[in-house]
Amino acid sequence: MVTQDDLDQLVDGLFEKTVADELEIVVTSDNSALTRYANSRIHQNIARMDNGLSIRAILGKRIGSASTNSLSEDAALETLKRAETIAKHQREDPHFKGLPEMMEGKKQKSSSYVAPTANFSPEERAAAVKDIIDHASAKGVDRVYGSFQNSEQGLYVANTNGIRKIEKITKACLTVTAIADWDNDRGFGWSEACSPDVTKIDPVAVAEVAVEKGLNNIEMSSVEPGEYTVVLEPLAIKSLLMYLSFMGFSSRAVQEQRSFLNGKFGKQIMHENVNIWDDVSHEEMVGTSFDFEGVPKQRVDIIKQGVAKDVVYDSYTAGREEGKKSTGHALPMPNPSSPMTMNLIMDNGDMSTEEMVETTDKGILVTRFNYCGVVHPVKSILTGLTRDGTWLIEDGEISKPLKNLRFTQNLTDAFSNIEGIGKEQKLFSFDYYPIFVLCPALKISNFNFTGGTEF
Amino acid sequence: MRAGASMEDLLEYGLKEFDKYGLRYGDIRFSDISTESIYVKNGAVESIKHWQSCGYGIRVIDGGWGFASSSILTRDGVLKTIERAVKIAKASSLASDMIKLEDITIHEDEYVSEYQKNPFDIELEEKLDILIEAESRVKTDESVKVSTADFKAWHFEKLFGSTEGARIKQDIIQCGGGISATATDGKDVQTRSYPNSFGGDFHSEGYEFFKNLELVENAERVGREAVELLQAKQCPSGNMDLILETSQLALQIHESCGHPTELDRVRGTEASFAGTSFMTADKLNSLKYGSKNVSIVSDATTPYGLGTFGYDDEGVKARKTDLIRDGLFVGYQSSREDAAIVGVPVSGNMRADGWENIPLVRMTNINLEPGEWTRAEMIEETKKGIIMDTIKSWSIDDKRLNFQFGTEAGYLVENGEITCLLKNPTYTGITYEFWNNCNAIAGIDEWKLHGVPNCGKGEPGQVMRVGHGCAPSRFKDVRVGVGKW
Repeated sequence: MVTQDDLDQLVDGLFEKTVADELEIVVTSDNSALTRYANSRIHQNIARMDNGLSIRAILGKRIGSASTNSLSEDAALETLKRAETIAKHQREDPHFKGLPEMMEGKKQKSSSYVAPTANFSPEERAAAVKDIIDHASAKGVDRVYGSFQNSEQGLYVANTNGIRKIEKITKACLTVTAIADWDNDRGFGWSEACSPDVTKIDPVAVAEVAVEKGLNNIEMSSVEPGEYTVVLEPLAIKSLLMYLSFMGFSSRAVQEQRSFLNGKFGKQIMHENVNIWDDVSHEEMVGTSFDFEGVPKQRVDIIKQGVAKDVVYDSYTAGREEGKKSTGHALPMPNPSSPMTMNLIMDNGDMSTEEMVETTDKGILVTRFNYCGVVHPVKSILTGLTRDGTWLIEDGEISKPLKNLRFTQNLTDAFSNIEGIGKEQKLFSFDYYPIFVLCPALKISNFNFTGGTEF
Repeated sequence: MRAGASMEDLLEYGLKEFDKYGLRYGDIRFSDISTESIYVKNGAVESIKHWQSCGYGIRVIDGGWGFASSSILTRDGVLKTIERAVKIAKASSLASDMIKLEDITIHEDEYVSEYQKNPFDIELEEKLDILIEAESRVKTDESVKVSTADFKAWHFEKLFGSTEGARIKQDIIQCGGGISATATDGKDVQTRSYPNSFGGDFHSEGYEFFKNLELVENAERVGREAVELLQAKQCPSGNMDLILETSQLALQIHESCGHPTELDRVRGTEASFAGTSFMTADKLNSLKYGSKNVSIVSDATTPYGLGTFGYDDEGVKARKTDLIRDGLFVGYQSSREDAAIVGVPVSGNMRADGWENIPLVRMTNINLEPGEWTRAEMIEETKKGIIMDTIKSWSIDDKRLNFQFGTEAGYLVENGEITCLLKNPTYTGITYEFWNNCNAIAGIDEWKLHGVPNCGKGEPGQVMRVGHGCAPSRFKDVRVGVGKW
């Protein structure tokens, strides 16, 4: 991994040679590895190492961007020239108010970078997978599936307004799917664990949950679609929160009047016990302390006691509103998906999942959701299916496994119909987005299932 | 290529180094990828970006599979990456079976995709003029709050070599774009796009494809339709005939035939992530997937398809494979390893997203063969139905059985005529029931090839560009208008 001195030297050279009025340099580094297993055998085992150098050159209000994955001086200069040439041909962007100024923020938590995670070897990953396979086999499950990944990622941001910051994070994620009856295509169970510290992940404990779910998910029944009380485990809530974020937690969505929060700020839109905010400094969270523009990440309260409060900003969207400042939620810029929540948290409550089940006369317990899709963003309507373990609850007990169900549900209604919030929060990460979510289980009434599938 | 002529030298150097390890199999794949994107939104050129990414991936079998990739373009970099791949392969052997690869014809060849004008050679000004004009014309009304115009182009230079003697050089250009209008009246939001949503339509073709999309000429219609949707009737609920336009049918094919016929999913290697498939090996040559009208192929040779190439990333020559023939499930998309295990032909579907990722079974161009109807005849012969156009939302279960799609626009058909515009159209069904209810497919004159640039699969996530050719088609007794509105 390149050092800050190397990068400072590279950046000094670019600042010296540029003809741009303002310049931003973002360097990312990725050193990641992943072992995938299926049918209780390792079938894919990879490692990759790459860097990214992105340059944003500003001429007045004209912006040009270019990127390369080489950190050589020649490639950096070529990329600078390309960004400047694009800026020369660009049209002025009346909404652009300049690159951010240097701002001091909270220091990165030391827990975000854990050396054993960065150094976790292919032999250690393979040994953990072997333990999972052996544990499952001892319980009578001969087919387990999943992945174990560890990564070290670095972010360096410098601009001509004085920002110059570097940090790195580590992440380890283990997933286990148990299929207890492969021949009859049933018995699916799932569990996962995510942490910046790989030593905090117990592969056998994760496997145990997946195997138990799989073994209890054999003789599946069907129920009629309709409204049910649901107990949604934290992994299912992660999906709902992520889609709430996509549908409306960004200032860009609000400014373009396509957020479900438009016209709702200051109003009660969810149950009074719902608190959702974004905060990298939370003790359980992982991340750099600044965003891809080098702005310190601020805590942003999005839903407070059920009331819509605020959304996240980058410097571009902040520049479009009088008196607003970036909250430190920029993605690599320019970017039509920016800003985005990156460390989303939902407050915990006081119920265990067992208590949620015990207090339900008739309902459905859901492990997780699959392949959700936004049906209507302003109405916050989402569809998706249950996956890897869905059970009927009758008279306060889990009575039988169910075939998977499709829901089509207004999420603000769902978060208004909360009857219980879990005591424990769980941390999740996403492969495609730089997002972490920390959330509890929820018990929700009148959750609308609109169809079912055959398994 | 960034490293110039040394790329070939590095490949030969790496392949020679393989000898020291006595590997059963090894391959090295270099890629130099350039991407240009322009995004115009609400009167501003919000971004013009150029990316370049160059590096190599090394795949070996030594007890188990090992793969390592790097962007360090030196002999030392290649050497260390080989060492890393071999170390990983040895670690895999702790829980691996004996790996078999189906034999293939080994090629030494070069392939260049067909195009007239390299989009990277076209002056930025020319592209900007088209996009700015199109975007400004989309804004037909005050209620159009978001108007966009997109352009994107890719250039892939690839070099592949293996211990079996393959040496393959490929040069592929891809290009396309689109426009969209999002209108709101404060209560509702509706979007209309052309020629497709999520950035437009794309081909393995030159700048001429982008120009022939006629974004400027279609802009006012798109803006007008977004505004009209605000006042349109809500899509009714119930069961009725459904006519899908090609941009929507492309996604239907993608999700309900493309993914479930990927043999790695069938074998379970995506079980923990993308999912498995209901089209298991015991159903091959016996499952009645669709009606007699339905024949679907995987075809990497389709002219200008976004999934068209000379060779896949295992060195298998591009080919056409029957997946569904006259309604019967007859074939899979496969890798050399999958084919050897299951005992089916190698289909040449192994593709990697960039140099840094391992190849996976991916779609090429999954095409529905044309029928003998016309779209007009289908409408004329429909008593009650809905025409749906342009994907808006999609969701399908992890075996690819239960799906639900939402489209941007719907048109009610009553007694053979289109009677009104519908908003928020949705439809749902079970894959094989849906395709068995296909009772009309339009002919070759209305057959259109679409490009889907954002197909996600694998861990770590890979995004692939794939193609789908189809003509408007009709399905009977489909459940529409799902959920509470």
